Amino acid sequence: MRGVKSQTLYWMAITFVLFPILILLGIYMRSVQAGALGELQGWFYPMMTLHGVGMVGVWYVASMGCVANVLSKYVSPSPAIGRLAIVGSVAGVALLLACVFLGRFAGGWYFLYPLPLKGEWPLWSAVTFLASLTVLGATWLIWSLDLLRAIASKYSLPQALGWHYLSGRDQPQLPPAILIITVSLIASVAALGAGVIALALFYNEILTGAPSDALLMKNLIFFFGHTVVNLAMYLGVALVYEVLPHYAGRPWKTNKVVVISWNAVLLIVLFAYFHHLYMDFVQPGVLQYLGQIASYASAIPAAVVTIFGALLLVYRARMRWNLASILLVLGLAGWAIGGLGALIDSTISVNLRLHNTLWVPAHFHTYMVAGLVFLVVGYFYHVCQEASATPENVGYHKLLATLLVVGAYGFFMMFYLSGAYSVPRRFAAYPSELAHGATYSGVAAAFAGLFLLGFALYVVETGKRWRKALHSGV
Amino acid sequence: MASEFRRPGPRSALRRTLATLALTAAYATSVFGEGAPSAESRLAGRAAPDIPLRLADGRTMRLSELADGKPLLITFFYRRCTGVCTPLLAWVRDAVRKAGGLGVDYRVLALSFDDADTIDDLRAQARVTRVLDSPHWSFAVTEQEALAQITGALDFWYRPDPATGQIDHPALVAALDQGRVVRTMLGAPDVSERLQGLLAELRGAFIPYYRLPHQTPFACVSFDSSTGETRLHWGLMLLVLPALTAAVAAYVLFFLGAKRRRMVEAQNGRTGASPVWSCAAS
Repeated sequence: MRGVKSQTLYWMAITFVLFPILILLGIYMRSVQAGALGELQGWFYPMMTLHGVGMVGVWYVASMGCVANVLSKYVSPSPAIGRLAIVGSVAGVALLLACVFLGRFAGGWYFLYPLPLKGEWPLWSAVTFLASLTVLGATWLIWSLDLLRAIASKYSLPQALGWHYLSGRDQPQLPPAILIITVSLIASVAALGAGVIALALFYNEILTGAPSDALLMKNLIFFFGHTVVNLAMYLGVALVYEVLPHYAGRPWKTNKVVVISWNAVLLIVLFAYFHHLYMDFVQPGVLQYLGQIASYASAIPAAVVTIFGALLLVYRARMRWNLASILLVLGLAGWAIGGLGALIDSTISVNLRLHNTLWVPAHFHTYMVAGLVFLVVGYFYHVCQEASATPENVGYHKLLATLLVVGAYGFFMMFYLSGAYSVPRRFAAYPSELAHGATYSGVAAAFAGLFLLGFALYVVETGKRWRKALHSGV
Repeated sequence: MASEFRRPGPRSALRRTLATLALTAAYATSVFGEGAPSAESRLAGRAAPDIPLRLADGRTMRLSELADGKPLLITFFYRRCTGVCTPLLAWVRDAVRKAGGLGVDYRVLALSFDDADTIDDLRAQARVTRVLDSPHWSFAVTEQEALAQITGALDFWYRPDPATGQIDHPALVAALDQGRVVRTMLGAPDVSERLQGLLAELRGAFIPYYRLPHQTPFACVSFDSSTGETRLHWGLMLLVLPALTAAVAAYVLFFLGAKRRRMVEAQNGRTGASPVWSCAAS
């Protein structure tokens, strides 16, 4: 491993290997829900845990790997910390695999207290799971701090947050990606800090037997989990600001509106997770209202400004369409569509109906897969293509993108329909009165298979360029 | 075989919110040790057997018949007890009088676990407790097998102490509704406050949250039994701490970055090189 840029290629390789495996786990779960693979039903919840933690982790580090690459264009992230991030993430994944496959840990990716310590799995399995999160969290925290350090080596904090634009000055010019990455990394430190506290309380209980307050633990866990997922999405959006102008042939500059919207994100994103606790009647009412307001306020300004800006950028531009630019635009669309589903679900009166249905996985799969995944894999392709300068077949790229979109949205649609028809989430098997849930699951598994095929073809297409990029020493 | 009892008839608004109660005199704390709170949480939701009872007035009936569709507070005693039994019963009596609702919202049963106790002993204990004339207080004995069932279900233990001739036991009050434990209390130093909260619940107040004592180092909210309000607890500061940490970390990193930049610029000024930020790769 040489510099940060070549480390991005390693993140790609890790993603290309892990993502299809995690998709297969998802297909397995939907197949079990459809009534197939009955003999493997006992593995449903361990696999749900692995699928959830794995997907969140893979796409968080993938987006971090991408923004590290973006930052290396402007500043100097530490290659040593980059190596630590890869080693730490691989070690964390190894621990996760051990606790799930050897210990059958099944506490879910959100590991809600006190489930990890109360399940049917052995205590060592829960401890290994917590150790896995500790390794991952500590690694990512160090990584986030190093990227912030790199930004701080060139910009002051007000400059990195673009505050000089508010007073009408545009010097020093701040790439919007730097603004978004700064905002996301600061919030990441907060989210990972919440994870540290939650883990410390878990360890305290294991060591001393003193239980923790369940409401506090749930707040801390979703402060960590929800915010990390949210920020991974924003890191993906930073890639669009950075790369889309390259294909549109026009600059995408920071301005006052962009600064206001993304600074608002920094202030508000930390409160949005309260919407995960609407069902917790003990949660003080003021925090519930704050959850709804923050959910809207943290998403709408940034999304509207970004999507409006992207549309203006593309409108009547001499766009160079290829797999990268197509996926980046599709990723923004997925962010908007999934985000809309999330906003609907974050509305208290609606959440009371939808919270425990498959509507929830519907919206987060939409913005994770059709949003974040499309953005990151679009960027992956862009990096490999820029490094390898391989001739492109745009028609084939459109076919690939179509395959991914049809597979993904067909898969999401089954979740949305299931949610709308009150099919509960987290059920491994459906009773007869929910037989329609099994039908939707079967169709979803087929669409997921189509998406997997599309992704495999994408890996082949990008992999050829990846090899050239690796050998050319990016 | 014991079975859960169900209460018939319509529920009053107060009855919908059930209570439970367990108390103990402060000096009884040592009897239960530090495991008491975890025992309390373990009991919630557990089914109680519908045992036969022989009451102080000579009648026999089952537990479900005694409850008569109402929530039931159960506590244990034995007549010869020179320790917690009488203070415990007096405490329950006073608390119940203060809270009100006896007979309307719930009934109280004091069950002897000493097979030497007779009907006369039951009446004597009721007289000492000054509830002999209350139709909603019942003192009872039961068969050994039934006693084993209900003490087993409520994790109530007792053992003779040959040195004193007394019987060691915890001071437990369990609240049942529809044959299941809703809430229990064992002795603790702050039991008075907890008892007030429990009685508020008994009178129909909706108490969304209560903490077991000495269990959780931090909490989000706590219930103030004196005002009946849920208050924010200082443990909520743990939710603010990550944001503060992030702000401080960002400030320090950017402060150090600026300091380093100034140093490099100063050096470059001496050598005539360009400032760092303007010569970064583009």
